[in-house]
Amino acid sequence: MSKKFDITNIAKLASISLSDDEKEKLSNDLSVIIEHVQALSDLELDTNIEDVYIHPLEKVLALDDDTEKPSLTHDEAMSNAPKVSDGKFIVPPSLE
Amino acid sequence: MNLKPTIGIETHIELNTNTKMFCRCRVVDTEEPNVNLCPTCLGLPGALPVPNEKAIRYITLLALATGCSITKKGMFHRKNYFYPDLPKNYQISQFDLPVGENGNLEIVIDNEKDYVEIERVHMEEDTGKSSHEGSGRIDSATSTSLDFNRSGIPLVEIVTKPVIKSSKEAVAYIEELRQLAIELEISEGKLEKGNLRFDANISVAPSESNELGTKVEIKNMNSLRSLERAIDFEIKRQSSALENGDIIIQETRHWDESKETTTSMRSKEGSADYRYFSDPDIPNMVLTDEFINQIKENLPSLPHENRNKLTETGLGLSDSNVLSKSEKWIFELYFEVFNNTKDSKASFNWITGELQGQMRKLEIKSLPNWFSPNFLSDVIKLIDENKISFTSGKVILEELIQMDTTPDEIAKRLDLYQENDEVAISKIVNEIIDNNQDIVERIKNGEDKLVGFMVGQIIKSSGGSINPGMAKEILSKELNL
Repeated sequence: MSKKFDITNIAKLASISLSDDEKEKLSNDLSVIIEHVQALSDLELDTNIEDVYIHPLEKVLALDDDTEKPSLTHDEAMSNAPKVSDGKFIVPPSLE
Repeated sequence: MNLKPTIGIETHIELNTNTKMFCRCRVVDTEEPNVNLCPTCLGLPGALPVPNEKAIRYITLLALATGCSITKKGMFHRKNYFYPDLPKNYQISQFDLPVGENGNLEIVIDNEKDYVEIERVHMEEDTGKSSHEGSGRIDSATSTSLDFNRSGIPLVEIVTKPVIKSSKEAVAYIEELRQLAIELEISEGKLEKGNLRFDANISVAPSESNELGTKVEIKNMNSLRSLERAIDFEIKRQSSALENGDIIIQETRHWDESKETTTSMRSKEGSADYRYFSDPDIPNMVLTDEFINQIKENLPSLPHENRNKLTETGLGLSDSNVLSKSEKWIFELYFEVFNNTKDSKASFNWITGELQGQMRKLEIKSLPNWFSPNFLSDVIKLIDENKISFTSGKVILEELIQMDTTPDEIAKRLDLYQENDEVAISKIVNEIIDNNQDIVERIKNGEDKLVGFMVGQIIKSSGGSINPGMAKEILSKELNL
């Protein structure tokens, strides 16, 4: 069975490290899954990408006027913040 | 090794709508943090986004103006990544169905037209602003402070194909795109305010190769000057790496303005890292023909069309390009002055050189109400007709900007009209000849440069009222030169 994927790249995207044995095992398992799902390609489907997406809401997009609506005050917006300083939310440093 | 650079540019334009992209919080220009927020732009659970009609109109306008084909059945996707300034942990963006695709933008470079192909134009939302407290640097900060005023402001991203060949071309492209956004009135186009932000993807490959080299993305360029320098630096860095046999790593690099170098930020994410999926909170975005046609019919005159109008007056492409990127009143003033004088070069030079120069000197941004375009036309005509000198023209212009008067009144008051009566000039010329017989002898013996001295004497004796050209002509005639 030819493998149509790169297990090393998939492992990288999933941020997991795999030993060679694991790669072999998972490749085989994944191949079975892919082969199974490939049955779908036997179906005749319209390939126009704009029509392919199935959206949970069939409704056509409703847009809103560019008119301001009042919402939270500054104090309301900050009220649940664990830490505030000079009107800003304070969170732990981005890199530690 | 002969190497060729290839550059692609991603530009974000902040749209000047009243409210944000997916909520109706006002877009504010203030230093006061966190004052225009709601559950949607704070990413609170349960809040639902509703797209801004004007933003969709604006992006369609830009997509049409760049010749893109419009995706009639589009949608929004979630781009997932984790960073404190993105409270939902995803940015609402577009993935494989952007509003516009496959467009192009005409640019002018080295007095010639060129075209930059555009891959896509898509809609997304801006993030909040984070500041790294303590050291100011991300890697040694003690905490991060967040202001979400910017969170959710509509952004249009314009991505070029990898077709740009030099830093100069990249700058010309951004200048053109900026002007287009201004003409379309969709953005202020102010780089210093972050209305327009850009990243560059740069790769270098052997000249004969049909494949592109490994691309490196450069971020943090906030002016055209830094864009140019960062690209030049990166081309040099990658070229010498290739020449030394080193491997270029696909990564994101940071432009350091003070050191004028790029430094590695992180290895580049692939699009799979962002786990794009269609946003289930926003229904499909269907743009009807009626909607698109209505925008098409209201397209204003685009920068390349303005440039064509200018070249039709006889102005060169390079000058036309400069003028097409000027403020609107300067562009309009040119046509008014040109229509009166029919002299494209003089109209251009007087407006962009003398007039703007004087205004800069006087530190004024707009012309006073009394200043009529006819004044400038009159000055140009008076010089063309040899009635005043070029220098007098400058004096008149300076007064016109500061005083409600006319060119004629100033010329009379300051005695700037030149003597054009041939008989009167001949009289003065002959007096000078009589008083400088030794010089005349030397001119006749071949010392041509002394003609200039004689002309100077003639003008001096007339108190500056004689046109130098005419003085020289009559002098030559009298001396049989």
